[in-house]
Amino acid sequence: MILVWLLAVLALVPVLSLPLTRTIERRTGYPLGILYLVLAAALIPSARQVVNGHPVSYKVAWVPQLGLNLSLRMDGLALVFIALALIIGAVVFFYSPTYFRTGTQRGFYVVMSAFTFAMVALVLSDNLILMFLTWELTSLASFLLIARSGKPGEPASMRTMLMTFIGGLTLLAAGALIIARTGTTNFSEALASGVWQTDPVFTGVVAVLIAAAGFSKAAQFPFHLWLPDAMAAATPVSAYLHAAAVVKAGIYLLMRFTAYFYDVPIWQILLIGVGLFTTLLGAWFALQQTDLKKLMAYSTVSQLGLITATIGVGTEFAMTAAVLHTIAHAGFKSGLFMLMGIVDHQTGTRKIDRLPALRKAMPWTFAATALGLASMAGVPPLLGFISKEKILASFLEVSGPAGLNWLVLGIAAFGSVLTFAYSGKILTGAFIDGDKPGPDVREASWKTLAPAAFPIVMGLPLALVVAWFEAPVAAVLRSVWPGSRKEVSFYLWHGFTVELAITVLILALGTWIVLKRASWRRKVEKPIFRYDGPAVLGIMRERVDQAGVWLAGLTRFDYPSRHVAPIMVSLGVLIGAGSLALWLTGNVAPLHPDLNRPIDLGILIMTAGGVIALCVTRSRLGSAVLLGGIGITLTVQILLLGAADVGLTQLLVEMLTVIVIMLVLRKLPLEFSHGKNPKIRRNAIISAGVGLAAALAAFTVIGRRDRSAIADYYLAEGPVVTGGSNVVNVILVEFRALDTFGELTVLGLAGLAIVAVLRTIPRRYLDPEPDPSPDSPVTYVAPPVVELDVEGSRAYDALENAEANTEVLRLLQKALLPILALVSAMLFFRGHNQPGGGFIAALVAACAVAYIYMAKPKDEPVSRPRTPVLLIGGGVLIAVITGLAGFIEGEFLQPIHLDVLGLHLVSSLIFDVGVYAAVLGLVLVAFNALGISGGGHPSDLKYVKERAARGVAE
Amino acid sequence: MILALTIGFLVAGGTYLLLQRSLVRIAFGVGVLSHAVNLFLLTAGITAYRQEPLASRMDPAQAADPLPQAFVLTAIVITLAVTVFLLALAVIGRNDNTHRVPETGEEHDR
Repeated sequence: MILVWLLAVLALVPVLSLPLTRTIERRTGYPLGILYLVLAAALIPSARQVVNGHPVSYKVAWVPQLGLNLSLRMDGLALVFIALALIIGAVVFFYSPTYFRTGTQRGFYVVMSAFTFAMVALVLSDNLILMFLTWELTSLASFLLIARSGKPGEPASMRTMLMTFIGGLTLLAAGALIIARTGTTNFSEALASGVWQTDPVFTGVVAVLIAAAGFSKAAQFPFHLWLPDAMAAATPVSAYLHAAAVVKAGIYLLMRFTAYFYDVPIWQILLIGVGLFTTLLGAWFALQQTDLKKLMAYSTVSQLGLITATIGVGTEFAMTAAVLHTIAHAGFKSGLFMLMGIVDHQTGTRKIDRLPALRKAMPWTFAATALGLASMAGVPPLLGFISKEKILASFLEVSGPAGLNWLVLGIAAFGSVLTFAYSGKILTGAFIDGDKPGPDVREASWKTLAPAAFPIVMGLPLALVVAWFEAPVAAVLRSVWPGSRKEVSFYLWHGFTVELAITVLILALGTWIVLKRASWRRKVEKPIFRYDGPAVLGIMRERVDQAGVWLAGLTRFDYPSRHVAPIMVSLGVLIGAGSLALWLTGNVAPLHPDLNRPIDLGILIMTAGGVIALCVTRSRLGSAVLLGGIGITLTVQILLLGAADVGLTQLLVEMLTVIVIMLVLRKLPLEFSHGKNPKIRRNAIISAGVGLAAALAAFTVIGRRDRSAIADYYLAEGPVVTGGSNVVNVILVEFRALDTFGELTVLGLAGLAIVAVLRTIPRRYLDPEPDPSPDSPVTYVAPPVVELDVEGSRAYDALENAEANTEVLRLLQKALLPILALVSAMLFFRGHNQPGGGFIAALVAACAVAYIYMAKPKDEPVSRPRTPVLLIGGGVLIAVITGLAGFIEGEFLQPIHLDVLGLHLVSSLIFDVGVYAAVLGLVLVAFNALGISGGGHPSDLKYVKERAARGVAE
Repeated sequence: MILALTIGFLVAGGTYLLLQRSLVRIAFGVGVLSHAVNLFLLTAGITAYRQEPLASRMDPAQAADPLPQAFVLTAIVITLAVTVFLLALAVIGRNDNTHRVPETGEEHDR
């Protein structure tokens, strides 16, 4: 239970920091730090239990279906990392209030405490999914903390996110593989599965994935570039995240999974190889730096490489060395970061060349830094010395071809020499070399210095009582190798061993290099590679960007024909090939007799002629007329096929289409563009081919059976069931009412879409003033050439006076509109039994609307802007309500029959009202949107004359 | 079947118009293509039977198939909606050349 309490309290801390920062601002660090120490103290009893060999665990089901359980387990390994997170966290929190000079730093405290929670939850989780979740949380927290530092932090935070999330993905993949293969989501149980021994390929793959995840967090090559990058963040952030927490999460992962992979060759090779390479790489880059913080960052990379390599050795002894060095490193590194922050604050710079010699001005800082650097360089009698000795000794245990362990040891030793060198560089550069500091450079206050120096200073006494670490580290060994019984012994002096000799060598060489620093500094600081890490990443991103743009460019055409052509060609090929296939395999039934009538031939000739003319004509007006003509021809054909309702609808729709076309054409040029279309041959071939395929398909599949059974059903039963004689209408509003409902929604949406599109475009683009010059981008709109007499003459009035011209129409309107309304109502009510119905009635009403529009002397909308929208919405709503009422009878849209006062009423009539409203709304939208003009267009003669006059005056 | 040829002509014409540059022509192409499809649907009810399906005055043996007629009726009205929408788009900027994106006052990123 203690574990749950721990997590609960830690989860509350970010929330707690909100009111705290509001009240005591930056000083929030003190209470939070004290809280962490209290938590650490509260864990002591459980810690004792763990060290005695009984791990504390807690399990509760969270999402059982996914196998995600809140399985928490505190064993030795978890204990060490929790201690690190809490104690170093407390120290950093004590340091922050005086480090931050301004601001409440609310975001800092919230995210830092959230991060601590994530870290502790990560090391406690025994469930693979929980592990992944908390891992990603730590990545997120580190991203947020770096992004807080403003502009310079932006690219750095993005790079950090990229690198750490790659690691997250590999961890996810590995976790998924493990879960899929072993069938359990629990880490400890998956360990017991036999697959690790029987399937080396699987083991290898998972090992590589986990190694990649650990590398990404622990900043190993090639993921190392995010760590120096992340130096954009504030010093307390660096001290905590990058010295003690985030990167340690990667180390934790590698240590935890050593239980699975310690004897897998690829794991060992990967860890040792990459680790050592990173050690050298980081150390060399560190040596090159002149910025103190960047130097420390690279030094962290290097030290982590050393730890990684040690983990890779895979023996129990190596693990103890790695754990001890992790603890030591967390201590001196966080302290060093904080001290560098103090130097930065007091002097205003981080560059070695600009720093004065600070050892007299800031003696305490100097002493603490010297101690920390000595620990890092492995100088006795500090904790760092002990752990480094152990690491060197563990490399001797590397198994493999003869001499490999000496090679590894040699590389590690060389890395340690470099470590000593750059440590010396820091010490000499900041404190010993340089000018006399100015009078304003003073020692920092003890409130800042004490927390900074604390972890370092602890390195000295801890080295003397290093035997205290034996029991916890033994617990760590037991958590990795459950049956381990190895005796752990830590000691300051063990006698003359190989590693001691090497250490002496390192110290000697290092001291000599530091003494000779003046000579090699310039040479070393020249960059080796032209591109550094972030630049490489930037180049990679650019390339990927370019590839994306190219790929999208393949289909990024704004004009429809480029997209339509492949679609139509595929359609033609499909139906043509399909029909041919049917013919060739003999699957075609014989044609029904008596399909054709002579009149069909006449219509064919007219249609063919109309279509050909429509394709060829250059005049817009001509094509509108031809379209109307084709429509009327088809109306005749439809009526001849016995579709009365359909024919009526088609006729009315055709009329309305022509009117809408005219509304549009008067704003466009008289002719289609004159340019020669280079694709004319291609288009002709495609259309001919598709037409042929369509004709073939129609011939193949249609007319080769008798009338369908469902037709017989409708014709026989329809009138009986519904009481209506017009079978088509009955199908529309009763049998297939849901389809009609969908259809009227489509209508309504089309109307709304028109309104939406046209409303979002400013007026001056909808209806721009025509440009009279022939080569303007807006196609030249030639004004009509009319010879006119004087203004006021009869001829002039005949064309110009809209008021007079529409007088007749308005007079007629008084008689016509009531008649049309009556006709519409009549068609509406008789639709159930005779040709008519909601659609046709609405279209007749639409014609009335068109008439009203044409009778207006000015280009005005026909109704208020809200009306069509209300009609459409109202129509859909009525249809829905009628449908819901149908539940009374059992189904949505089930018709309800009522006999009232001798009249037979059906609810489908109300449904038809909804249809009526929607269709009317659509037509109103069309006239409102397209019927207005922006004030001035070429068919307005007066306007053109005014413009010409103005042009003369200008 | 003569109607198959009619359908073929309409499809060919509709496709040709659909591949043109002018948006008005494309709208006309959509209209012609929809005529073709409507005819296709109507002929699916066997055209040997051509009497109106009105129960008060039909001979059930001769009446046309009412189901395709119901489909086509809704299709015609939807085509009206689509045609009106396309024509509304064509009017923007007074230039319906689809190879030139009309000025709408928006800024385009790429």
